[in-house]
Amino acid sequence: MEAQEVDALRSSGIRIVTLMRNLNATRKYPDALPSLLKTMNEETSTRFDTDPLFISELTDERLMENPILYVNCDDQPNLEFPAEELAALRRYMEQGGFVYLDAGIKASFLGADLGHSYAAWEERPEVNELFRQVYPEKSFLPLPRNHEIFRSFYKGLPKNRDLMIEANQKRLPETVLTFVEQEKWPQGTYSFVGMKVKGRLACVASPICAMGWGKDEFGSWIPPISFRIRESAENFDENLKLASFSGGTYEVTREDGLKDVIYSQLGQRPLWVKEPNGRWRIFKYYSGEEISNYAHAFYTRLGMNVFLYALLN
Amino acid sequence: MKQRFSHSLVFFAGTTLCLFGQAPSEDPLAPTSLSANGRQDGNVSAPKPIRSSQAETVRKAGEDLRFGEEGARVGAAKLLGKYPGSLSSMMLVGALDDQSALVRRASMVSLAEQANNGYPLYDKSLVEKVFSKLGDPDVEVRREVTAMIPRIVSGLMRGGMEVVEINGQKVYRSVPANLRPDLHQLAIRAFSDEDAIVRQNLLKYHQYIRVALPASTLVSLLGDPDQRVQLEALGRVYSNASQRPVVEKIKELSSHPEKGIRLKVVDVARDSNRYHPAYRGILRAMTKDADPEVTSMAAVELARFGERIAGDVIERIKQYLLAARGMSSQVTTILYAVSAMGKDGVQVYRALTEHSSSKMRSIAWQRYLSLSSGWQTPEAWLPGMSDRDKGVRDAILMSLRGRVKSLKTEELGELVGSPYADVRIFAGQTLLTADQEAFDQYGFDLLIDEDTVVRSTTLRAMGVRRVTGWVRIMSRSLLDEDYVIQRVAMDALLTDRHEGVKALKEYVARNPQARISALARAELDRLGVR
Repeated sequence: MEAQEVDALRSSGIRIVTLMRNLNATRKYPDALPSLLKTMNEETSTRFDTDPLFISELTDERLMENPILYVNCDDQPNLEFPAEELAALRRYMEQGGFVYLDAGIKASFLGADLGHSYAAWEERPEVNELFRQVYPEKSFLPLPRNHEIFRSFYKGLPKNRDLMIEANQKRLPETVLTFVEQEKWPQGTYSFVGMKVKGRLACVASPICAMGWGKDEFGSWIPPISFRIRESAENFDENLKLASFSGGTYEVTREDGLKDVIYSQLGQRPLWVKEPNGRWRIFKYYSGEEISNYAHAFYTRLGMNVFLYALLN
Repeated sequence: MKQRFSHSLVFFAGTTLCLFGQAPSEDPLAPTSLSANGRQDGNVSAPKPIRSSQAETVRKAGEDLRFGEEGARVGAAKLLGKYPGSLSSMMLVGALDDQSALVRRASMVSLAEQANNGYPLYDKSLVEKVFSKLGDPDVEVRREVTAMIPRIVSGLMRGGMEVVEINGQKVYRSVPANLRPDLHQLAIRAFSDEDAIVRQNLLKYHQYIRVALPASTLVSLLGDPDQRVQLEALGRVYSNASQRPVVEKIKELSSHPEKGIRLKVVDVARDSNRYHPAYRGILRAMTKDADPEVTSMAAVELARFGERIAGDVIERIKQYLLAARGMSSQVTTILYAVSAMGKDGVQVYRALTEHSSSKMRSIAWQRYLSLSSGWQTPEAWLPGMSDRDKGVRDAILMSLRGRVKSLKTEELGELVGSPYADVRIFAGQTLLTADQEAFDQYGFDLLIDEDTVVRSTTLRAMGVRRVTGWVRIMSRSLLDEDYVIQRVAMDALLTDRHEGVKALKEYVARNPQARISALARAELDRLGVR
């Protein structure tokens, strides 16, 4: 096959535009998007070009030629854009473009980079500030759990067959599975906020999902992922209220709009939480192969749902 | 230790930073202050309960852990994970014998939490107790134990001294840094645990605890129904690579339906090549794999061993790289490794000089010119001068500079007519060695180029070649508005003590205030010319 023929075949794939304002900067998850696109090509009938198209400015004319813009907010030095780029972004969304702001939700108590995410329900301040300039008349709203974006291809949480493990193998520790199924990712959903333009969901933001997309050449997931789980126990409402603690507290917006109070000590991961209904729960951290594999499977299915939704709507 | 330090540092930095983003509020349970008269203000609510000290909290949790109902014991085990210390660790280890699996699970998770926060168990007796839970009936407990092995190994494998009494005499003797025999047996049995995660973790960490992996066990794990266990086992083949049953199993896996397994087999066969000659045969067979990526990897590994690769295989590698999107680590490895094929690799690189990826083209051009000594043949590299990507052109020019012999008229003409300044600059540089006919035809075209660097490069070449009328050309160039041109002209004139220096002196006399004149005077002085 001649090079030109190969090129012609290749050029029919859908190209995902990726914003990297500093093209030479180190990306946190460089294998993530190519791995996800490859998985989508293997598991669906869509044809994505597995080589994302990198742009450094929103005024790049190639943006307008492609339907989806992916931005990992953590990979950008900041989210401050000049007027012409803001105008370009608005034009892009109004002309049918879809913007996915990964790590567009980030609870502030996590700090600059603790390597983990927290499912808050509002966009991070920089995203809020950016879009106040792009669309002053609009705001981000939490996507309901029954939104189609969570069901555009995959429905529900990964089962054993999806994880390629034996039917009788425990896919997660019991407390973890219960929390995941009932609170963390019920029915395969996640904390997303979105903005509509001309009646169409044109922009979504989520806590970082790209960390769950990467695979190495042998098909193993990279990098390892751990879970933070809320657990309760007998007398915790009293015990945690009185237990020794010398750190600070942080408020985080919940899905229902109310505030959780997170208790976190200096130099440690968050310890426990007081919920608006007066309930106290402890944070426990789980890591290991089964945790990581499950998380990767979930994030990959979720990522595929987002990109396929963008394509179909 | 390094991991612990960096872990704490990240959290410390992150928490400090978050204090700017969102200031922590005070604990709402802190007692309210009293008014100046010592009485509470009527508007202030009743005093809130005061939090206990850490010692008190741990003590109470310890009591609950020993004497409470199951729910209270579970809660106590979870809470103790937040208070790392020797006392809480001992309490948690003690709870590993609890009859309730929920309590044992919570204790293990808390111990892991303490270890991850920089407080691993170190006391040997405690650590051995934890490790003994490898035989726990609950799979979650067993998983946690195996995942914790790297964290507890330093306590587990400590050597030391013990005092024993023999015939009434106290004798000191050393305790080897090995796993206790019963724990060793437990570890061996865990390779066959019913749970795939336990098997996988033990494969990953068995070397930490110096438990050898028997060949028969390895063969069994290479055929494990869980693919991740298989991959892990493949990574451990080196320990028994020379054993015949292992070799046979690897051969069987070389035709596994999963590509990931087959790619791993290529790695294994390459690394194990020195242990048994059959591995080379496995690699050869894999050059006929249905998947081009597997074929390519196997072929380049063979080429690295010095073997000649068949023409049809080379063609498949070429097609695989031509179709590759982006420079993944696998593609990059294969792309560079094609050099190992020597002359056979030339055709592959030549084809890749037309790839849609500029990065691929850059590497392909460099390798192509290097392997084929293509710099000697302008027909080989001239097409690259039309590449639309500057990075690609730079890569080619780097391979050519200083190596290109004299160019013919048509060849120089192609360079001179290029829309790219960097190519025309190179053309100017080649004037140093170009044919006279070519020089005469195109030299002046470059001298009046729109780009300053092109003009200055050409001027420099003319000065070196001492073309007819060169002194006049340099003298006129001294009048150029561009300082770079003036400088080149001055440097050229200075190389000729008679005509050149004379012309420069005249210029300086007529143009004493010109920007270049000050430097020219200094240079003339240096030469001893007044």
